Parts: sequence; structure tokens; C-alpha cells
Amino acid sequence: MKILIAEDEIALQHSIQLYLQSDGNVCEVASDFYEAQEKIELYDYDVIILDINLETGSGLDILRIIKKENKKIGVIIISANSSLENKLEGLDLGADDYITKPFHLAELNSRIKAVLRRGKFGGHDTIRFYEISVNTRSRTAYVDDVAINLTRKEYDLLLFFISNQGRVLSKEIIAEHLWGDHSDLLDNFDFIYVHINNLRKKLKDAGSRYIKTAYGSGYKFLAE
Amino acid sequence: MKAQTKTYNLLRKTSTNFLLMSAGLMVFTASALYIYTRDLLNEEIEEELYSQVAFIEENLKKGTKLSPIQPVMDIQRVENLNPETLKDTLIFDPRQNEVELFKELTISKQINNEIYEIKARTLVIESEDLLLGIIISFLSILALAFIILFFINKSYNKRLWLPFFNSLNKLKNFSLESRQNITFDTSNINEFNELNLQLNTLFKKINADYSSLKQFTENVSHESQTPLAIIQAKIENIINENNINDKQYIELTSIQKDIKRLTQLNKHLILLAKIDNDQFSEKASVNFKHLLQNLKNSFDGISNHSIVLNVNENSFVKMNPHLAEILCNNLLSNAIKYSDDEQPIEVAMTDNILTVSNAGNHPIKNPEKIFDRFYKESGLQKSSGLGLAIVKKICALYDYKISYTFENQRHYFSIAFK
Repeated sequence: MKILIAEDEIALQHSIQLYLQSDGNVCEVASDFYEAQEKIELYDYDVIILDINLETGSGLDILRIIKKENKKIGVIIISANSSLENKLEGLDLGADDYITKPFHLAELNSRIKAVLRRGKFGGHDTIRFYEISVNTRSRTAYVDDVAINLTRKEYDLLLFFISNQGRVLSKEIIAEHLWGDHSDLLDNFDFIYVHINNLRKKLKDAGSRYIKTAYGSGYKFLAE
Repeated sequence: MKAQTKTYNLLRKTSTNFLLMSAGLMVFTASALYIYTRDLLNEEIEEELYSQVAFIEENLKKGTKLSPIQPVMDIQRVENLNPETLKDTLIFDPRQNEVELFKELTISKQINNEIYEIKARTLVIESEDLLLGIIISFLSILALAFIILFFINKSYNKRLWLPFFNSLNKLKNFSLESRQNITFDTSNINEFNELNLQLNTLFKKINADYSSLKQFTENVSHESQTPLAIIQAKIENIINENNINDKQYIELTSIQKDIKRLTQLNKHLILLAKIDNDQFSEKASVNFKHLLQNLKNSFDGISNHSIVLNVNENSFVKMNPHLAEILCNNLLSNAIKYSDDEQPIEVAMTDNILTVSNAGNHPIKNPEKIFDRFYKESGLQKSSGLGLAIVKKICALYDYKISYTFENQRHYFSIAFK
């Protein structure tokens, strides 16, 4: 995938680039409004990660250019502003998703994948990981083409694992993905254990053992 | 502890002072008048007695035969010349059949080779009655004057201090939160004018400071989100790119937890500032049945507490939909956080009163503080201390009444929508 990261905070830009590149993506960066505008005009990207507050202009204006020129590009807005109006404005202008700072890179990554599934590859909404396939339209998972019965949380978890395969996912990241802001209500992470263990058991029963434990308390979705 | 000094009402104090001063003045002037008049009267009496004696003496010299007239005059022949005396004496007055007080002057004189003792007396009562009459009429005139002055003074003072009390009332009703512009009127008293002028300046500054403080809170919170995002992203890359050991992993994820806390804190502060800045002015009819049902679903699987909804079908409230969601979310979060055991959390809404209750062992220790910013009843770390402050802020925005009660081992938080 070809991704443009339009973010004027260089350190954040690098970190996002590093994370996404190791997934085999081609990542280009733009550090201000004009650079982003130029690259959008010159090249084609699958996704743009767009900071609203670019040093020399608004990311929303980049979004307007993209929509005006009818470019087939997924747009994910990142913003330090958590306000609803900002979010709605971005989504109204045609952004595919909106994520507020600070965010987990794993979360950003899974949002990028979701945008890609919904966008360019419309119709082709099955993702595969060896013998596991997930149909994101019907929200069903298969192992060797046999449907496995997952709860909503288990399904979300599986999709999150496959999107971030090979990455270490801490319980906090998983909790936040599953429950958003509510995740700070968790007294302990027993609830995550329950969901992960159930998913692990269901996959194992169907013959897949990809959920590994990392550093004692984190998880990794990994083929041997 | 500092001793409480007694305070007084300004107008009552000036009135009391006036009355006390009047009373003091009356006592003093009446006493002075009494002493002066008494001396004057005494002098008169003595003079009269002396002149009476002189008159008798003159007549005796002429050889006029005088017989005593009891009790006012007495002449006796005596052996020796006695020194002159002036004294008060009690004499029985047979006509009135009672003992009366007389002033008596006794002088012995040698007239035509005979020594006479001449006594002249006069009734004291008469002069005392006069004295009393003078004092009483003086006091009544004075008292009347003071009473009239007192009422004139009182109403005048009231009018005089009116600008002061007007300003005081404005100060009492002032609230920073309401962002009202407070102005103090001019008055025809220089001092009050000056006071109001200073108050105007002061309040302009307070309002400006307050809004810049709010702006500052919002800016700081916003600006810190980006550095937090950088730290967060770097930690994730460290975990994924390097071979770290288990201990380092635990430390790094612990930092992530703190980032999350800081993020939540920022979000809450931004929200409070936004409510303050009236950025949620849009209103719609919010269906609380739907709202609470959706919230219940989003809490699904997060805790062992089941959420029991008992919401009337037509529970609509006209308010900002986003704030309605935050309101319910914070009340439910609070209930989940502090609920003991695994007892259900009950959410009821009837007659525009929303009640969220959860089980607890004992009532909140400081119920008056529970809605304060950063007040934490328990040392629970996951609490930002802002959830209920936001609830209160939203309620204050719409004038909803919020209350806390503890009954039958349950905490009840109720909001009465209008």
C-alpha cells in the first residue's frame, strides 16, 4: 500500500512511518500544507493520514482538494482536537475516519486497514491469514472455510489481531480498541483474558494456534 | 481559632449609635441643667430668707412689736449671740397635718440692747416642684427633637447608602460562570462613585482573567495531546522494533497507562472548558431510552455489573445530544467504578427524573464535595476526579437539579430535568 503521512510534528511522522513501513507499506511524508498539496497532486496514494493542524494550513483544505478532484484515496484525519464538531466536519467533508491524538499505532493501523477494505477494494471484503478468513461484510470468520461462531467482541479482537499481525499488543491497547474510552473502567484485565482465551480456544478447536503471549502479559498474532 | 467578632447592620448600627448618643446627651444636659437650676433656686431662697430677716430686723429697730408667724417667722429673745445658721429642717404643719421640709435661716442680733434670735423659714417643696417641672419639660422637648431627628436621619441614611447597597446586591448576584457583564452605576456621592469605578475596573479584569484562564486550560490540554501522541507512538515502536526484556515491557506499558490517564484528564478539562465557553449551544430532543440502551450496549462485557434499565418510553429531554450522552455516560461510569460486589446498576427514568443507583456499604463521606473538580472520595487511581464535576457542569448549564442520596445500602444520583 502507498500511504502519505501529512503531519508537521516530525517525531510523530517518523514513528507512524516506522510502524507502517514494517508492514511492507510504502510511506511518504509531508511536513506542511504545501508539501501535502503538492504530493497529492503529483502522486497516487491508497491512504492519506492527515493532521488537521498543519503548520501552513488546514488539513481540511487538503481534504477538500482531494474530494474536489475526485481522487480515490482513503482519508484518515488525526487531530489533537477531540471536539465533536471537528470530527463531524471532517467526516462531512468525506474523511473515512477520524482519530484523536494521542492514539495507539496499532489502532491507527487497524483503522487504515478498515478504510482500505471499505474503499478501493469494495466488494472484496475478505481478509485472509493462512487458513483463517474473515468476511467483514457479514462479520463472519472461517477456518478452512468452516464458519466459527464468534461473539461480537471476539470478532473485533480477531480482526484487530490480523490487522496488527506480528505486533505486540498490550492488554491496554486491546482494551482500548474494544471499549474505547470506557476501557478505563476496567478494574482489571480479567475481561480481556476471558475474551482472548475464548477466541484462542475457538481457533485452537478449529486447528489454528496463532495467538501467542509476548513478554508475559502482552499478545502477538503470529504464524510460527 | 480566631474569635468571631460581632457584626452589625450598617443602618441599625448608625441608628443605635444615634440613640445612644442622644440618651447620653440627654442625661448629661439634664444633669447639668438640674444642678444649675437647683443652685439658682437655692440662691434665690437664701436671698429671700436674708431679706426677710433684714426686714424683721429693721422693724425691730423701729420698735415695732412683732409676733412670730408660724412656721415662716420666729422671733425670740436669747441670752447670747449665736452664730448664724442656714439649715434644712422638718416642721409639722398643722394646716396640712403633715411634716414638711423647710429651709431655715437663724440669725441672732443685738437690737436696742436686747438680743433677738430671728428665724426665717420657707418651704423647700415649692422650689423642688419648680425644678422638677423645668427638667421634665426640658427632657420632653429634647426627647421629641431626638425622635424626630432619629426618623429623619434613618430615612436619609437609607437613601444616602442606597448606591452602596445596590452595588452590594450586584456583587452578591454576580457569578463568573454566567459570563454576565457587571456594571456599577454612577452616584452623586463621590466616594461611592469612586468605589463603583474601582469595582468596574476590577470586574473587567476578573472577567478577562477568567476567560483567559479558561482559554489557557483548553490550550494547554490541546497542546499536550501532540507530545503525548509522540511518546505513545515511540513506546509502541520500541516494544515492536527492539528485543526488550519482560521488565522493560512492564515499565513501558506502565508509561502507556499514565499517558492514557493524562489523555483522559485532558479530554475532561477540554470538555469542561468547552461547556464554559458555551460551545454546546445546539439543542435537540434527546431520546433517553435510545441513548441509555446504546450506552448499556457499549458497556457490554466491561464489568460484572449488569445494568438494569427502567426507562419510560417517552423520555425526551431538550438538550445538547452530545452533552446528554456525556451526562449519562459519566453517571453510569461512576456507578460501575464505585459499585460494590456484583449487584446490578439500576437506571430509571420517569417523569423527567433520571436516577442511577449502585450498591454501596456506606454513604459518601463528603456528599457536598462529590461534584467538585478533582475530589476523590476513595483513593481509586483510575478516577480522574472530573466525571461528576462534568455532570454538575452540564446540570448547571441547563439548570437541572442534581442530588445524591443513600438508601437501603445503595447510592442514588438523581437528575431532575425541567
